[in-house]
Amino acid sequence: MSRLRRIPKRVLLFSYLTILLAAYPTGAAENQSQTVRLKIGTILASNQNDEIDPKLNAMKNQLKVMKYRSYRLLKEETQNVPWQGNAAFDIPGGRSLVVTPQEFRNKQLALKVRLQQGDKPVVDTTVRLNNGGNFLLGGPPHEGGALVLSISATAQ
Amino acid sequence: MEPSDWELVQRCQAGETGAFQELVSRYHQKICIVVIGLLGNREDALEVAQEAFFRAYRKIKSFQGGSSFYTWLYRIAVNIAIDSQRRQKRNPLEFRETMDGLFEEQNEVARDPFSDVHDRELREKLVAAINDLTPEHKAVIILRTVEGLSYKDIGAILGCSEGTVMSRLHYARKKLQEKLSAFL
Amino acid sequence: MRNCEDIAESLGVWLDGELSLADAEVIRLHLEGCAQCDGKRRQLEKLHSSLKSLFEANSPRVALEPFWRGVQERIAERRTWRQGITEWVRSALAGPAGAWAVPAAIVIVLAILSVDSFRKLATQRNNFAAVESIDAHGRNVALWREDETKTTVIWLYHNQEGENESSEENTETRPSF
Repeated sequence: MSRLRRIPKRVLLFSYLTILLAAYPTGAAENQSQTVRLKIGTILASNQNDEIDPKLNAMKNQLKVMKYRSYRLLKEETQNVPWQGNAAFDIPGGRSLVVTPQEFRNKQLALKVRLQQGDKPVVDTTVRLNNGGNFLLGGPPHEGGALVLSISATAQ
Repeated sequence: MEPSDWELVQRCQAGETGAFQELVSRYHQKICIVVIGLLGNREDALEVAQEAFFRAYRKIKSFQGGSSFYTWLYRIAVNIAIDSQRRQKRNPLEFRETMDGLFEEQNEVARDPFSDVHDRELREKLVAAINDLTPEHKAVIILRTVEGLSYKDIGAILGCSEGTVMSRLHYARKKLQEKLSAFL
Repeated sequence: MRNCEDIAESLGVWLDGELSLADAEVIRLHLEGCAQCDGKRRQLEKLHSSLKSLFEANSPRVALEPFWRGVQERIAERRTWRQGITEWVRSALAGPAGAWAVPAAIVIVLAILSVDSFRKLATQRNNFAAVESIDAHGRNVALWREDETKTTVIWLYHNQEGENESSEENTETRPSF
């Protein structure tokens, strides 16, 4: 049997916990973060039926806040982008979302977010969110409902 | 012509549940015998055997045919049984009520191999002696005695070398002989 | 491999058929001429047959249908990775109380050294996002935070005038909250 198997599980378990705790990001880790992983979920919210896409189960409670009856995940895209770099995501309906991570301070990331229709800006916003957290940007009409974008960011 | 185990595995990897059922049909009895031997408790053994097939089903896509399917399956089952045995607090070889319908009725006229008094004493001593073995020593004895597996296959199942299998068998047999010398 | 001690050590391997032909032949010839070693062979064979009888007597036939049903139920349950971890943790936790001393000591020492990290960890339970600035370029916008899920939502209202959007898209863009 491998050496790992000979080590009692309880020691392994606590070793893992120890490593996890030791690796927990500290102030020093914020300065070492090189890139940001951005994840954009494009969701169609409507009242055309009562179905919630099973892929959105983890977000059900977040979405029901908007009180639409149906939510469908149209696409999900992840990009790694350096600080101050631009990440562009195609959004249905001839739109695009440009996200620029600004800084990482006090375990929060500041993101500059622009939604545009073609070349025209629809909204510009700067949002500060917890590392690994997300916020929702919704409203643009699409296919009889509205688009809801889940924007999340994790410092790498 | 019957499909080989590897053909069934490939069909299962492609999503055909019927192929996995065929594999269960081929090996469930063998797995149960080994696990009952390891745990001594039929109820627990059936849970462990079903769990072994479930885990094999879950991991079937990662099985690449490096070993034979039954070796891989035995390995899963024996590892679960050994882990379970370490946690086991019940009396060994205590026969509980069987799960309804799971055990087919034994032939009532089948001869109990331990029918006479001398042999019944041997059986009791055997049970006690086996339960004194470590799970790893018990596993090699069962895989060799019951399944007749080669040292190579036993080593693949237990994740050890053939030399280790040989020495564990030798040790286990020596211990059993010492405890049962009056009966053998 | 000629003396009785060597032969006795190899009897098990010989009975298992795992010796080379040459070595097996040496043992066979020895047993023909040595009553003591042959007696040990008979003992080992009796042990083997008793064990086999014991295990087979304890193992009745297992009906396939209910067994397969049990496996199917487990597959259908689709035990989640969380359950797998819980089981692994449970199996890791089982054991004599004394064996906890070293891992517990590691955790306590780490906790003492990392109090600050633990405190900061406790403050990061919410998913709130703070909107520092927003420019909706003439559109109406709503901003709200929902307590239960700690979600920040920025909602853009669809303006009827001056929009250059597809005629296929209707105006149902108001969430009914």
